[in-house]
Amino acid sequence: MEILKVENLSFTYPLCNEKAIDGISFSVDRGDFITVCGATGCGKSTLMRMIKKELTPLGDMTGRVFYKGRDINTLSEAETACSIGFVAQRPEEQIVTDKVWHELAFGLENMGIARDIIRRRVSEMTCYFGIEDWFEKSVSELSGGQKQLLNLASVMVMQPDVLILDEPTAQLDPIAASDFIATLSKLNRDLSLTVIITEHRLEEVIPVSNRLLAMECGKILKYGETRQVVASLRENDVFTRGMPAAVRIFNSFDLNGPCPLTAREGRDYIESNFPNTVISLEETDERNDKKETVLEFSDVYFKYAKELPDVLRGLDFKVYKGEIFCIMGGNGSGKSTCLSVAAGLHRPYSGNVRVLGKKIKDYKKNELYRECLSLLPQDVQTVFLKNTVKEELEDVKSNEDFLPYDLSGLYERHPYDISGGQQQLLALAKVLSTSPKILLLDEPTKGLDAYAKKEIGDILKRLRNGGMTVICVTHDVEFAAEYADRCAMFFRGEITSCGVPSEFFSGNNFYTTAANRMTSGYYKNITTVSDAVKIMRMNRTEGAL
Amino acid sequence: MKAFDNYNPITVFIYFASVITIGMFCLNPVTMNPLILFLSLAGAVTTYLIRNRTEGAQSHLFFFVMFILLTVINPLFNHNGVTVLLIINNNPVTLEALLYGAASAAAIIGVIYWFRSFSQIMTSDKLLYILGNISPKFALILSMTLRYVPMFEKQTQKVIQAQRGLGLYSDTDFMSRVRGGTRVFSVMVTWALENGVITSDSMTARGYGITKRTFFSIFKFRRQDIILSAASVILFLIILAGVISGSVNFKFYPEISYAGTTVISVITYIAYGLLAFLPAFTESGEELRWKYLKSRI
Repeated sequence: MEILKVENLSFTYPLCNEKAIDGISFSVDRGDFITVCGATGCGKSTLMRMIKKELTPLGDMTGRVFYKGRDINTLSEAETACSIGFVAQRPEEQIVTDKVWHELAFGLENMGIARDIIRRRVSEMTCYFGIEDWFEKSVSELSGGQKQLLNLASVMVMQPDVLILDEPTAQLDPIAASDFIATLSKLNRDLSLTVIITEHRLEEVIPVSNRLLAMECGKILKYGETRQVVASLRENDVFTRGMPAAVRIFNSFDLNGPCPLTAREGRDYIESNFPNTVISLEETDERNDKKETVLEFSDVYFKYAKELPDVLRGLDFKVYKGEIFCIMGGNGSGKSTCLSVAAGLHRPYSGNVRVLGKKIKDYKKNELYRECLSLLPQDVQTVFLKNTVKEELEDVKSNEDFLPYDLSGLYERHPYDISGGQQQLLALAKVLSTSPKILLLDEPTKGLDAYAKKEIGDILKRLRNGGMTVICVTHDVEFAAEYADRCAMFFRGEITSCGVPSEFFSGNNFYTTAANRMTSGYYKNITTVSDAVKIMRMNRTEGAL
Repeated sequence: MKAFDNYNPITVFIYFASVITIGMFCLNPVTMNPLILFLSLAGAVTTYLIRNRTEGAQSHLFFFVMFILLTVINPLFNHNGVTVLLIINNNPVTLEALLYGAASAAAIIGVIYWFRSFSQIMTSDKLLYILGNISPKFALILSMTLRYVPMFEKQTQKVIQAQRGLGLYSDTDFMSRVRGGTRVFSVMVTWALENGVITSDSMTARGYGITKRTFFSIFKFRRQDIILSAASVILFLIILAGVISGSVNFKFYPEISYAGTTVISVITYIAYGLLAFLPAFTESGEELRWKYLKSRI
């Protein structure tokens, strides 16, 4: 049954010449799980906000949106508020009240629903989401993933038929993100809830969605059944880059057949189409062995307060000059703490940290940060203090010629208004203005699309080639596999394994890249999609001979 | 003590309002009855002790010292009274003034202890519940504030740490600290406005402002609440009648004089004793019930 229909929708923001959305028409059936994808700035978010009437921005809008055959502008306010739910990107800021139970009840209170009914609906939803344990907690005690689940639950109590999500997992770590997607998929299956979601991280969401809507410059590029759309956009590089590893591998060859979406399907695809006569790629070892240690942790212990447990327990590692060192590990394992200790923001109670061979304690105030070391925090918004990008750069007397990229197109914009990737680049520009020898980054790829990730990765490589040492805490295994010189696994305050990516990831069974999971046991030491494609090509020609 | 926490906030509020009102009402020269004030202090301290047991034991020492000080200071400045104990610098120190000091110290510290328990039991969400019954809108604003203030604080800390890690924030001397502080504060205003937009989107998306709001809470008004509220109110009225009738009047100056022991005064004392120790009763009642249940299992 058709539940939603968009008819020839166009939208122009005030003071803009170009249309943000240009003549979009599509229809949605009850129970569809639709993923909307496309590059940053292609109008995905605007489209989402057009469907949710309350959030439609100011501007020039033509065309119509129908909900169950009725124009959404003719529906009552209560009806649209309840029937079409909306979850946005930032988990923290969407929460309105201070207690979990109050947040769950917020929407129903707005509807003027009686207390007994609210109690019933809230308790039902709490059970369904399995969040009884934190029902009475303050929202400030919750983790980011829990906050986003709470946002979802507090929309679901209003019993919507259609749920619209605008990059809901961008700010979550991979485990919380896949929990969130699993919950969405469960809602979709159990309640035949219609889901329309925009996402950058497609690995999880593509396999559970039955339809895909690809957008480009405010227009629909393709809309239809997931596998068909994925296969038909094979040639489109921007589109393919963000796809799951299985799809990228499939798209690298011109074989026909159904496109694999999950790692399991990818594995089947590889095994049934390619032999494994060549097992591993030849190692090209360019690294020189003359290594100079720039950062050294020796037996470092740290805790935030006397009565709290240790966060770092005997942490021991060295980072060498001119490498990209990626630290991975679960939430709360102490990764970020490790960075702030390295940056001298926290002082260990035992053990030594040496920066460029000198004990960190021996650096006088701020001396450490002068051309020596710099830390870029996870939330890059905390870096910005000015009203425009230009002022921001002038503030730190940044020498832009020195920057490996150009920000001049953004000068007059407010730092909060530019895209996540651009924010990351601007923050990086501020950090680089102190010309550090060691660059510490906390989750530099969080919330970024595939294109911005590649841009950041390439910049880091260039900086490294210029002699800078980059230490990077990340959840993003694909990013680490692609760009790191060495990777380390953090667990309960210490490093449990460490090595070059190909060995590091091949040694892991679970905490590894999708390409590695698809090929382990079949090929050896394959971590990235490009490696996988390379070895498959070799096998193919080998087989053809 | 946890039993008192399980009562409905309204009940808790009624109880504390009654017991504190009487405690404060008696702080005037005509009705300043030491027995009532002593009962108030004893009840308040017992309530606090049952709830916290040995936790925060040093604070009791502080209030004990305060009690002694308040008691001693009054006769040093107030020379009313007929029974002279000693003379300091040509000024008489009288027994009446000393006793008056003790009584007012008991009253003040009693009220402080009542408030200590009250603030522990009445957590923010309980206060909000009471407010919500009066004005749902105001309660929502308060709830949002309660969420926003810590969030703002946390973000400010994050910004300062971020600037420090970039080497752009120094607090070596006073001027640089002021300069850094203003920079951070100005960006925090932007941040607050920016995030206010997201919050308000989230509110309109869930239909805020469409109709008159109801107010949901997880507290129920049970039978035990009716009993306790009724008991508080009835006892309060009895005591009030007793106090107004003048049969518990008590004067320190110029010499100690009080209305004689009558049926009314005895009833008033008993009523206030009951009221002051109500939390202790409910608690021991609860404990006994558990003991009894346990022995049956």
